[in-house]
Amino acid sequence: MKNPVMVASGIFGYGDEFRGLADYGELGALVLKTITKRPRAGNPPACRTAETPAGLVNAIGLENVGLDVFLAEKLPKALEYGTNIVASIAGDTAEEFSHCARALDDSAVAAVEINISCPNVKKGGMAFGVDPDSSAEVVSAVRAATTKPIVAKLTPNITDIAPVATACQSAGADAVSLTNTFSAMVIDVERRCPLLAAGTGGLSGPAIRPAAVYRVYSVARAVTIPVIGMGGIWNANDALEFILAGASAVQIGTVLYADPAAGNRILAGIGSYCERHGLQTLASIVGSARLL
Amino acid sequence: MERTDRGYVGVKSTVNRVCAEVVESESLPGEHHRLLLRAPAIAGDAVPGQFIHVWCHPPEDIAQPPSAAILRRPYSISRVRLPDGIEVLLRVRGTGGTMLARTQPGAFLDVLGPLGRGFHASESVCTVVVVAGGIGLAPAPFLVETLAPQVDKVILLAGAAADESIPYRVDRGASYPATIPSLAALGAEVVFCSEKTDNLLVGDLLERRLSEFDQTSTEIMAIGPRAMLKRVAGMIGSRFRLWVSLEERMACGVGACRSCVVPVRYDDGAYKTVCREGPVFDAAEIDWERLDP
Repeated sequence: MKNPVMVASGIFGYGDEFRGLADYGELGALVLKTITKRPRAGNPPACRTAETPAGLVNAIGLENVGLDVFLAEKLPKALEYGTNIVASIAGDTAEEFSHCARALDDSAVAAVEINISCPNVKKGGMAFGVDPDSSAEVVSAVRAATTKPIVAKLTPNITDIAPVATACQSAGADAVSLTNTFSAMVIDVERRCPLLAAGTGGLSGPAIRPAAVYRVYSVARAVTIPVIGMGGIWNANDALEFILAGASAVQIGTVLYADPAAGNRILAGIGSYCERHGLQTLASIVGSARLL
Repeated sequence: MERTDRGYVGVKSTVNRVCAEVVESESLPGEHHRLLLRAPAIAGDAVPGQFIHVWCHPPEDIAQPPSAAILRRPYSISRVRLPDGIEVLLRVRGTGGTMLARTQPGAFLDVLGPLGRGFHASESVCTVVVVAGGIGLAPAPFLVETLAPQVDKVILLAGAAADESIPYRVDRGASYPATIPSLAALGAEVVFCSEKTDNLLVGDLLERRLSEFDQTSTEIMAIGPRAMLKRVAGMIGSRFRLWVSLEERMACGVGACRSCVVPVRYDDGAYKTVCREGPVFDAAEIDWERLDP
C-alpha cells in the first residue's frame, strides 16, 4: 500500500458513485461496500439513517448487488481508480463467507475484508464478531478459501475486543480493522417509536472516535499482525491518534459525506506532520503513544 | 445529457463540487429563505427537479468535525439565473436550514451539484400540468420557466396550508380562482388554493380539471408531500404519464449509502435511490403500495 489512508467499507458504495469528487487513486486503498453471495434488499426503506450530535446512525441492512454483479460490473469500474481495491464480504454462515472469498481469489482485489459484525444465522442471529470462536470459524473458512491477504473487521459491541482480535490472528487473519459502528438507537419522541425503520442501527462519525481509539490501543497490544484503525476520523490529527494508538493504517468513512476529498486532505496533513517531526516513515511512530 | 431508453434525461457520470458565492440572501414569508448562489458549473448543467447538496458550515471549516449538521443538506434548484446563478428556497428550521439562512452576501458555500435526475417533458407533449404542494413549490419556478418555451401550455396547480405559508404573494383579486403572479409571469396558467382559505387541497384542483386534458398530449408532473403524491398517483392511474419528485432522508447525495431508497415495481424487492436515480421518477415505476406514507 502506497500510504496508510484507506476508505472504509459501506460509506463509499462501490466507488463509482463518488467519481470526479476527489483523486481517490491517490489513497492507499478503497474498501468497497460489503457484498454477500446473493443480492440483498436491505432494511425497510422508510428511514435508514439518522443524524445525531457529531454522528450518523445507519441501518441500511447490507443492501448489496451480490457477488456476481460485483465481479462483473462493480469491481472493474472501481479498479479504474488505479489503487488497491479491497472487497468486503459477509454472510449468514461461514460457508457463505468462504464462497465469496473463493470467488474473489481469481479477481484483482488486493485483499478481502471480512465483515464479522453481521448476524450469524446458525447462532440465532448473534453477530459472528461478538464471540472469539465464531469469529475464528469465519476467518478459518476464509483463510482456506483464498490466498489473498485477509482483514477481519471487528465489532466494538462486546465487553472485551482483544480476545476476538487474537482469535482472528490465530485463525489466519493478516490484519484486523476496527471499529465497525457502535450499536445505537434514536427515538422519535413525537411518534414514541424508534426513528429508524429497523429499530436500531450503528453509530459512526466523530462521536465514536475516542471510544474507537481506545479499542485500537487495546487490540494493538494484544496482536502482532497490523491493525487498521477507524471510527470518526475527520482530519489528520484524528488519523494520527489512531496511528499513535497502534494502527498501521486508517480508514475514513462518515467524513466523506461532508468532504468527499477528506482522504486526500488527511494524507496531506499526515505528510506535513511527518515533515514537522522529522519522520522518515510513519511506521516509526505506530503505537508509540505511551502513558507518561 | 443523453436520453435513456426509459425516457429519463441521463445525468453526468461525475458531479461538480464548487465553492459558490452567496450573491443574495433574503428572508421570505412562511419561514422561507432565498439564496442566490454564483455557481457557473451547476447553473450551466442543471435540469428542473435536480438538487444541490450543501455543507452548512463555512467551507474553510471543513477540516473540523462539527457537533451538529454533520451531513450536507439537499435543496432543489428553484431557479437558474444564467449565466452563473442558481437559486434555492429553504425552510428556516432545523440546524442546517437555520445556519444557511444566516449566510450573508459575500460568504461562500461548499456545494455539490447538480444531483439526481430531473423533469423532462416527452417529445410529443403539448400540455404539462405541474401539481405542486407546500415546499413542492420550491422547484416550480425553474420547472415552469424551462417548460414554457418547450410546450404549448403549462398549467401550474399550486396548493399550501395557508396563503401566508408560501414564499410568494398570492393574488386573490376579486374573482376565483386565486393565482401567484410571480409564477404566472414565468409562462404558466397558475391556479392556487389554500386549505385555510379555500378548504381545498391541490389534489382537488387536479381532480376538477382532469377531464379537460387530452391523454395523448398531456403529461403531469407532481412535487410535494408524500400524501399528495400518493393521491395524485392513485387518481391518475395509467390515464396520463405522471412524473413525481420524491423526497427521502439522505446522507451521501450521490447514490453510495443507500439511505434514501424507495420501492420500485419491477425486480421484486428492489429499491432505487432518490438522490441518484430520482428524485424524479416515472410514477408507474414506483411501488405505491410499499411506499411509506
